[in-house]
Amino acid sequence: MSANLSSVRHTRGYDIVKPLSITALLIFMLPLVLLPLSSIFIFGFSSGLQSFWAALTTPDAIFALKLSFVTSFWATVFNLVFGLFAAYVLARYSFWGRNAIIVLISIPTAIPTAVAGFALLLLWGPYGLLGRFLPADTQIMFTPYAIILANIFVTFPLAFGVIMPVLETMNRSLEEASATMGATRWQTFWHVTLPSLRGAIVGGALLTFARSVGEFGSTILVSGNLSGMTQTAPLYIFAKFNEGQVEAANAVAVVLAVFSFVIFSILFFARDWLETE
Amino acid sequence: MKFRNIKIAAVSRLSLVLLVVILTACLPGPVSQPGNRNITVYAFSIMKEALERDIYPSFAAKWKREHGEEVTFSSSYAGSETVTNQIIQGAPADIAILSIEMDVKRMVAAGHVKEDWRAAPQLGIINKTAFVILVRPGNPHGIKDFRDLAKPGIKLIHPDPVSSGGAQWSILSIYGAELIRSESETGEADSEKAVETLRAIWANVISTPGSAREARTQFETGYGDALITYELEGILMKQAGTPVEMIVPPATIMSEHPAVVIERGLTPSKREVAYAFRNYLWSEEAQKAFVRGNFRSVTSETLNRSNPALAEIEQPFDIRYFGGWERAYHDVIERIFGGKVKSSR
Repeated sequence: MSANLSSVRHTRGYDIVKPLSITALLIFMLPLVLLPLSSIFIFGFSSGLQSFWAALTTPDAIFALKLSFVTSFWATVFNLVFGLFAAYVLARYSFWGRNAIIVLISIPTAIPTAVAGFALLLLWGPYGLLGRFLPADTQIMFTPYAIILANIFVTFPLAFGVIMPVLETMNRSLEEASATMGATRWQTFWHVTLPSLRGAIVGGALLTFARSVGEFGSTILVSGNLSGMTQTAPLYIFAKFNEGQVEAANAVAVVLAVFSFVIFSILFFARDWLETE
Repeated sequence: MKFRNIKIAAVSRLSLVLLVVILTACLPGPVSQPGNRNITVYAFSIMKEALERDIYPSFAAKWKREHGEEVTFSSSYAGSETVTNQIIQGAPADIAILSIEMDVKRMVAAGHVKEDWRAAPQLGIINKTAFVILVRPGNPHGIKDFRDLAKPGIKLIHPDPVSSGGAQWSILSIYGAELIRSESETGEADSEKAVETLRAIWANVISTPGSAREARTQFETGYGDALITYELEGILMKQAGTPVEMIVPPATIMSEHPAVVIERGLTPSKREVAYAFRNYLWSEEAQKAFVRGNFRSVTSETLNRSNPALAEIEQPFDIRYFGGWERAYHDVIERIFGGKVKSSR
């Protein structure tokens, strides 16, 4: 994949632009990304590993992390299945209104997440369009299910966006071969199409998951923000920061930063590995 | 190649199944399982310490002594207006503790709180606190009163009256203090002049955080020259070793904070413990706990003298100076602040 990168040569001999441009890249990143990130770590550990650990292992912090991961997991499962289905339908069939559906799926990307939360409240809240018909003891808003709904909404286009282009540009000769050999539609999908989407599926899942774990704007509106009940990790960080407990906020922030580093490392390496398999 | 593929597929499938099992096993279950004896409290930002350190544990102990049952608490803190909006939108609160009475009125209007909430002891008010100015060490700008904050070049942090009750108290305090001063100087309260001062102070505001607590965090991170806030916040900051000085204006308002039971969705078994908890807030034990937490008691001035951190105030006034919240809100917050001050920026 990267074999052709250096084949274009504008100069002969040593290319000074290469080290210069890499340095420039890093210098740009330093104040914009690297320093803010490192300040989380510096402040997170400023009063020692022990108090970092103590801040991280309070029941509320553990719960917040757990809630974030679990709600993000279910949002990912849903959006992956949906994204795969939508991409398959839209890549394989051409029909009137197809582009409109693609645009509709992509809308949540550009909507402020607070609006997403508010929209859910207006729909499912106790006084919402549909929520008013729910019995009082089966409300969805202000429960962990509301967080899952919010996560689904804001990460809706992500998995689809990763899978769709791969499916569209996929070489269809294998699928055709499979069909000629008498395979059913389902068999072809399961044994031919799906395996070649492995990279895109893993990529879409990780993106969706990572984005869900960090979701704040919509969750603060729909979750109720009760510590130990409906407070996710980003809400916990915000609450602790507002209470002036910067250390507690940082401990959880460090976990999320490390987590996102891990996710995107997997994304980077595993995708290459899965696609070349 | 083929064999390897199958193996990888089997391993990844197995790990996926395992992951699902693990995650399903811990599908959001609350830290403390909320049974019938769980009280959910939504409170304005600065209530946190007093409630969690003192009030919750002592009420739980009392309930256990008297009923032999465990009571647990869950709570959420934000600006008073934010809390009110959350509850009106359906947040599952049993008790709300608010910074301003107007928020209770909004909840009454929305059918969440009984109309006779004032029939509770002390007209529903559980504690109070004074409004003060916090400045940097050495008071470099020589601030002694609210009107000094109108000097050009002062950078003031002031919570946002849209979301924070404390911010509204602060505006009432500035305006009232100016009226009282002109009254004592000339014998007549000069509202023109008071509006002018308020306008000049508001022009110096560099940031309007969502709650008093957020404003404090901003001030603590080194932002701004001065902060108007609850006396309690100043005391807590000093106790935590934050380098600030607390300026007590000669005339300042005593903010009064109501607590109400949220009737909507309240089950009969919860009602008992919710009302017991609300009534407990006026008990001597709870009032002492508030004073320990640097609030002022509403039931006994003797209690207030037992906490030396609470400042002596020359001319304290309260909401009755404006003729009650309804009029204060309409005349000062909406008409003067909203109409003449904020719009002039």
